[in-house]
Amino acid sequence: MFLGRFRALILKEFRQARRDRRIAFVAIGAPTIQLLVFGFVLSATVTNLPLGVVDESATPESREVVAALTESKSFRLGGYYSSVNDLGAALGRGDLDAGVVIPYDYARNLQRGLPVTMQFFMNATNANTAAIGQGYVAGVLGSYASQLAMGGIHVRRPPPGVRPVVTRGIVVLKTDYLYDPGLVGSWFMVTGILGMLLILNGSLLSSTMMVKEKSAGTIEQLLMSPATTTEIIIAKITPLFTLLLIMGTIALVAIRFVFGVPFQGNVLVVFAGAVLCMLSGIGLGMLVATLTKTAQQAQLSVFFLNPPLASLSGAFTPIQAMPKWLQPLTLLNPIAYFATIVRGALIKGSGIDVLWPDFLGLGLFTLVVVSLSVWRYRSQLG
Amino acid sequence: MRRILAQARKELVQVARDRMALILALVLPAFLLLLMSTAISLTVDEMPMIVQNLDGSSASIRLLDAFRASLTFKIVPWSVDANPERALSSGVARAALIVPEHFGRDMARGGGAAVQLLVDASDANTAQQVSGYAQQVVNSYNIGLASPGRSAPVTAAIRLWFNPGRDSKKFYGPGIFVLALTLFPTLLAALAVSKEGEEKTILQVYVSNISAHEYLLGKIAAIMVVFACEAVILMALLLTYFGLHLAGDPTPFVVASILYAFCVASFGVMVGASIPNQLGAVAVVALGGFLLVFILSGLLFPIENIPPALRWMSNFVWGRYYIEVVRDALLQGGGWPATWYKVGIIGLIGSVFYSVAWWNMRAMQVRD
Repeated sequence: MFLGRFRALILKEFRQARRDRRIAFVAIGAPTIQLLVFGFVLSATVTNLPLGVVDESATPESREVVAALTESKSFRLGGYYSSVNDLGAALGRGDLDAGVVIPYDYARNLQRGLPVTMQFFMNATNANTAAIGQGYVAGVLGSYASQLAMGGIHVRRPPPGVRPVVTRGIVVLKTDYLYDPGLVGSWFMVTGILGMLLILNGSLLSSTMMVKEKSAGTIEQLLMSPATTTEIIIAKITPLFTLLLIMGTIALVAIRFVFGVPFQGNVLVVFAGAVLCMLSGIGLGMLVATLTKTAQQAQLSVFFLNPPLASLSGAFTPIQAMPKWLQPLTLLNPIAYFATIVRGALIKGSGIDVLWPDFLGLGLFTLVVVSLSVWRYRSQLG
Repeated sequence: MRRILAQARKELVQVARDRMALILALVLPAFLLLLMSTAISLTVDEMPMIVQNLDGSSASIRLLDAFRASLTFKIVPWSVDANPERALSSGVARAALIVPEHFGRDMARGGGAAVQLLVDASDANTAQQVSGYAQQVVNSYNIGLASPGRSAPVTAAIRLWFNPGRDSKKFYGPGIFVLALTLFPTLLAALAVSKEGEEKTILQVYVSNISAHEYLLGKIAAIMVVFACEAVILMALLLTYFGLHLAGDPTPFVVASILYAFCVASFGVMVGASIPNQLGAVAVVALGGFLLVFILSGLLFPIENIPPALRWMSNFVWGRYYIEVVRDALLQGGGWPATWYKVGIIGLIGSVFYSVAWWNMRAMQVRD
């Protein structure tokens, strides 16, 4: 009896969902396109910054240091300038991202063993580019200096009368990048965006589908049927959940084969997180649907719920870069938990033993949102 | 002209009466600007880091002190005999510095003494920053602390221009300013026109003697007024809370703002005139206004990072040019020489949108 009624309800919802082409597109087509576009387009890598040079020294030594700076992939030669003013103007126009001024006594002082300082300008408008560019300069000059030392050029500048008693070595920093040794930026991006898409599209769809019967007035007919409110709600969610599951699978296939993210850990861990994430997305949408009257209001509200959710999630910017007082807010964000789970499981190869706090957080959020929305929806139906 | 003004007035009265529209128009942009530009930042400080000193010599302790003293790293406790990779995989730390045995001896002998830095590269961009900062700490240690009588042969005195504090807010603030000014006026314009189509009040406009130009320009003028109010509120925020100030000649910015207001209003009107359905219009604005301007305009990441196969598309994204003009006005101060063609392109794209909108409306007849 129960099963027969329930089956009929689910069948009705599935047929409705199938007839509306737009639903399938919003649930599957749009997120796939978004994942691909975001993954390919959003990239924070800093390479080939145009570097302008004012070479007042014009010696083999100065050309050598310019070559050392520009042969790495970080900087490329953006042109020689005759004066610092020209260089500054080019930096202001945006033709250059960085500029270096090599003083006229560069080679002479280097040969004499006096320390040389070059002036280095960076366009710091983009803080990230400036931070990474600064690191590049430090790295290049660090290795250049140790090369000079090996080549017999030492700086002798003992304080007058005092000779250093011991000569000391140089610390050489050996950096190893774990998990993403090729520094592929898209790995970070797509693993974060997956959760964003599940929540975004899940809430958008569920709010429209839930509010539809309300605004069309057909909800009364459903209520007159012998079905209980729980059955109605579960039947409404099921097709949506199925669609999102298909979308999640497609997205994971794209993440694996289009973006080449290594699946170090267990994919089932990701799926478990994804199910929770979908449920909380659906719950959010339902909650919005209970608070609004028309599909238009629901869609607009979801539209404005999402930017804060997305930008406070760490999906495409690191959480540690947010101001300290904002960081606790990410504890209320399902996208943030899911991003940690996906990155942990896929890129780092972590299991439940490491990721359980995130599962706990995500699970709690899902529980609260879903029960709140079901409760509100039921009381509205009654 | 009088009819245009009347149309604009009617539109503004409608916006002022609708509380939802008023919130959409004035409160949300400011909220979006504050929230997003505070939350979005890629430069990390107080990076959690663990250190394992297997040496214990005075040289190694001085090196670790240099790391402790830096603002970028925050040393978190970690046992010497625990696996350092575990700290990275569990997210306790983002980097691990390991000083090997005999480090002090190698230093005293002269030559190179290696230390290892393990970086969690699952976020590639942050990983690059971390290794760059660590290299800078090591460089300054090499210059000063290791051997006080000695200095490196070549050093760079790095000067950061235009944003010396490397403040992300100052970079993203102008970008989000443009994003908010793209999203909300477009949305209002699209809704204003598509609503008339949906509720069939457009028929009353058709039977009046108003021409397509007058009708569209009236709507656009009203949205431009809304744009101006928003721009003033947001600019006030940028100049106070964000600590930005006008660098150099503001006239390109003013001209570009007027043209951009026309451009986004025309885009919204165009969408509304082509899609007489509010939900559809909102979807197109979300896709066209928000997504395009958000990802293809260089708001978040430099346009040069977009793969060439997709990069050409950013040439058609109107928000891109306005972002560049606003950043120039508030940070670089390049003035007209740096921005004249961008201002021109904004006007060009705006007139294309307007022409399409007019083409759709020109007959002032019910389409079948």
